Amino acid sequence: MKAPYSWIKEFLDIDLPAEKVAEKLNETGIETTVSKFGEYIPNIITVKILDVKKHPEKDKLFICKATDGTKEYEVITGASNVEEGKIAVLAKEGAVIQGKEIKPVNFGSFKSEGMFLSLEELGIEESSEGILLLPDDVSVGVDANDVLDLGKDDIFEIEITPNRGDALSIRGLAREIGAIFGIKRKEKFPLVSIAEEIPVNIEALTDKVYRYRGIIVKDVHVKESPWDIQLKLIKSGHSPINNIVDITNYILLQEGQPLHAFDLSKIKGKIIIRNAKDGEKIETLDGEEKELSSADIVIADEEKPLAIAGVIGGNNSKIEENTTEILLEAAVFDNISVRKTAKRLAINTDSSYRFERGVDIENLPNAQDKALELILKTAGGKALGEKDLYTKPYTPKEVKLKEITTKRILGELISKDESAEILNRLEIPTKTVEDGVISKIPAFRALDLEREIDLVEEVGRVKGFNNLKTTYPSVSIEGFDKSDEYLFQLRTRDFFKDNGLYEVVTYTFVSEDIYNIFDLPVPEIRIENYLLKIQSVMRDNLAVSLVGVLQENMKFQNKDLSIFEISSTFFKDFEEIRAGILLSGKFIDGFYYKKGKEEFSTSEKWDFLKAKGIFDSYFSLLGIEVEYKISELPYLHPYQSADIYVDEKKIGYIGKIHPKKASTLKVPQDTFLGELKLRYISRDIEDTRHPEDYLYEIYKNKPAVVFKELPKFPAVKRDLAFVVDETLELDKLIKELKRSSKLIEEVKLFDIYFIGEGKKSVAFNLTFRDENKSLSDEEVNEIVKNIVDNLKTKFKGLQLREG
Amino acid sequence: MDLKQELESLKDEVIAQINNAQDLEGLNKIRVEFLGKKGKLKSILKTLGKLSPEERKEIGQIANKLKDTLEQLIKEKETVLKEKALEQQLKNEQLDITLPSKWIKAGSSHPVISTLIEITEIFKSMGFSVKEGPEIEDEKYNFDMLNIPKDHPARDMQDTFFLNNGKVLRTHTSPVQIRTMLKQKPPISIVAPGRVYRKDADPTHSPMFHQIEGLLVDKNVTFKDLKGVLQIFLESVFGKDIPIRFRPSYFPFTEPSAEVDIGCTVCGGEGCRVCKGTGWLEILGCGMVDPNVFKAVNIDPDIYSGFAFGLGIERIAMLKYRITDIRLLFTNDIRFNKQFKGIR
Repeated sequence: MKAPYSWIKEFLDIDLPAEKVAEKLNETGIETTVSKFGEYIPNIITVKILDVKKHPEKDKLFICKATDGTKEYEVITGASNVEEGKIAVLAKEGAVIQGKEIKPVNFGSFKSEGMFLSLEELGIEESSEGILLLPDDVSVGVDANDVLDLGKDDIFEIEITPNRGDALSIRGLAREIGAIFGIKRKEKFPLVSIAEEIPVNIEALTDKVYRYRGIIVKDVHVKESPWDIQLKLIKSGHSPINNIVDITNYILLQEGQPLHAFDLSKIKGKIIIRNAKDGEKIETLDGEEKELSSADIVIADEEKPLAIAGVIGGNNSKIEENTTEILLEAAVFDNISVRKTAKRLAINTDSSYRFERGVDIENLPNAQDKALELILKTAGGKALGEKDLYTKPYTPKEVKLKEITTKRILGELISKDESAEILNRLEIPTKTVEDGVISKIPAFRALDLEREIDLVEEVGRVKGFNNLKTTYPSVSIEGFDKSDEYLFQLRTRDFFKDNGLYEVVTYTFVSEDIYNIFDLPVPEIRIENYLLKIQSVMRDNLAVSLVGVLQENMKFQNKDLSIFEISSTFFKDFEEIRAGILLSGKFIDGFYYKKGKEEFSTSEKWDFLKAKGIFDSYFSLLGIEVEYKISELPYLHPYQSADIYVDEKKIGYIGKIHPKKASTLKVPQDTFLGELKLRYISRDIEDTRHPEDYLYEIYKNKPAVVFKELPKFPAVKRDLAFVVDETLELDKLIKELKRSSKLIEEVKLFDIYFIGEGKKSVAFNLTFRDENKSLSDEEVNEIVKNIVDNLKTKFKGLQLREG
Repeated sequence: MDLKQELESLKDEVIAQINNAQDLEGLNKIRVEFLGKKGKLKSILKTLGKLSPEERKEIGQIANKLKDTLEQLIKEKETVLKEKALEQQLKNEQLDITLPSKWIKAGSSHPVISTLIEITEIFKSMGFSVKEGPEIEDEKYNFDMLNIPKDHPARDMQDTFFLNNGKVLRTHTSPVQIRTMLKQKPPISIVAPGRVYRKDADPTHSPMFHQIEGLLVDKNVTFKDLKGVLQIFLESVFGKDIPIRFRPSYFPFTEPSAEVDIGCTVCGGEGCRVCKGTGWLEILGCGMVDPNVFKAVNIDPDIYSGFAFGLGIERIAMLKYRITDIRLLFTNDIRFNKQFKGIR
């Protein structure tokens, strides 16, 4: 909201610089910036337009004659709203408009001696249509800087928090500023008389209207408003329309009370405040047709809805130039009802904005009478009837603030006298009692101040939080938790980072296209009011996001990418924190080297075993043994992808992207994807399960490390080679080898050789050790023989390779 | 020529040859040729039998001395040659030590996560525990129990993403407060770092961003304590001399509420584009836990009090690293990410 300082000063004797006022408003809870209204422009005067003619040579241009009372000017303008008899602002030679100096200019064979100015050219509006036309009550031939108050007034730009609807008016700000600086606000009561000639028939069929007061005014003349009203509206960012509408806006800004004027001649029968009918339609003032529902409240006559209560008026009863009789409405509607309607219809008006935040029901007649006073003064006419529907008058709630509570919450005791003083300054009638103060909450703070704590804030904020000293809490450390899960996640993150991977952060919502490309079912959880369709599916894995990062980087020819992310994936009842990696291209972009017989390359490209190696290294860090089984994930290479298990619990996967998916996504074929399930996050507060198929749980529950004596007796080594089927997974053979004798300490694969005919030769380095004695050759021979016999029974076609 | 002379000339010959030896191989040949089992010295000594015992003794002594001398010389030469050979070998192994290395270089942190962790660690070291909650939340925890009733304008403060399962993407980390207080009785001192979501996207807003939430509940916790904790925190992040101001504000879940500004870190308070000319940067929101929130989680507001605070991480990361467009943080152009070497 924009509030001219000069307007506030009409209600407050204050002299302080606007900057000081803004600073204090900020410090006490109302966000305020301040700026000057326009800037002084030399050589601009008001002139009366005497004559307007079309330019004979140039289309769209007008040749005008204008006078400042003594001198006549020929002015050429392109403004289509230029009108004979009106007063305009002329920039004469020497004026500087938007950085350009005005000089006489020829348009065809005619010379323009100046320029009629628009609000935009005057530096007041961002953009405006047409030139500024001033009303009759402005003098001709005077410095336009004085008329427009350019460069003099200060405009506060106020942003309130949702609880401070009371500050959304000149009245409210005067009250607030007055309270801060200890200055009493002035009230100017309206002087009006309303005859009781015509009965005003109003009926409320809903309880969502708390007060409705209608006044009938006849014989009004709709025309432009006097300049002082127009200027205040312009300063407040409003466009003047006509005197009746301007006055309703004026009072809304000044008093915070939304008003509406209906053309009485268009109302059939009585005024009814009722729920709309489902599907009922109304064309609003902005020319749009809106479909209503039964939750909306309308102001209607006996035939049709006339306005959407508290939100916007209807076109069918609006004030027009020929309007002569009006119904002036002032009402207070239920804030929640107004909010629902405004939200659903996506209409945000000055009126709905204020109703949603609370309107001072007790100030309603005062505000409305001020409007009436102005109408009678500027539009003429007579007030002939009035009705005030106010069935449950406001009764102030009493709230007690104990002195001790200020100490308990703020940490500093504010005396009851000081509290009472602050609250009274805020126009909250407050008296002191033995142990504190009791406030009667006025209507303008009814929504905001209901409890003792609200008064603590009120007193605290006016006193200023910056004036409170700092202390340090003395808190019991009972319940301290060393945050193991967080530490586990940090350690995991450090591991991937330390091992050459770059951390990325991706959006957790993705497009369903990527799921279709990956041949995965699209997850069920979706954003209904998404910003972009491609950001509407809550992902259930990280791979869908990580390939997106690769695609993004391919745009910049960055196809060597080693990245990781630790983030959330989403499921029906829970969430999973996963670690995801994507490895593509080279991880060392080196060089080729040859010197004599020495020859090597320092480049390293990712392949399946290296990608798997990253995970294995991580498992080694955790001290966890895993098992790899071929994976069936549809987006991975069918023979180069593995699911990862710990004791039959699946905790992740690693694999090469399926070549077809790589082609579709236009990413390199040598791209590897892996994910690990780190942690389970329950959504249900009652769910205290700790599912075991997460690395954190596995890590936490693994047996403690206990030191084992170093071996006392020597080991014996033997190399064994077998011929086996080409497709045999060697991990099975290795496991069987380890199982086959207690004395086997280590089995190390050192050679694989594909012989052909579906066979391969595999060679192992075996280490034998007995903890209690030295093993003899004969003993080892015997063990080896048993092992080979055992393997032959377990693996069909296995043969020992001799020699 | 008698044996004596023969030995004498043998000596000269061998010494000359040793002196001339170029490498260990040549030296070895000399050893074999003269001192070996079938070497020249042996063959000379074979003729000793023809001499008288006196001569034999004399010549024998001379021969043995000669052998010792020669072996000593060979050994010395060997040392010299070995040294030379090693020198040569080292020379052959010369490598341009300025060549690019062959090892994985450590990766780097994302600036947002790094900042989030840095801030979490500061609070952790003050004794706060880390708590996390789900990102898909019940409106109950995200709004209702935080004293943000349905149809209250306060809900407009946070444009919400609604999901097809009737839940929402949490708009702040504050529901972790509720979850914690439902499970744990005071004293409570936690921070909750995490992702949050709002329906907003422009150069300064991202629909997904990060926050950290703090909550401290015990007997006798006051607003002055809140000021103390936040002052220490802000000084840890922005330096000892950072100006701090508390502006009263409104959050439904705290009363009184305040926003905390720091002196603009870009212009030092002079006024610039980043601080919109005010000299101040809004950095966090905070306040005393509203009694309605305590009631919702069955904590007696007459016995306990507490403070809560929340701050956006992106803004701090962007200030810290002078990042101008929030979208850069989530595009993951690796040329961006690789710039953040050496951060936590």
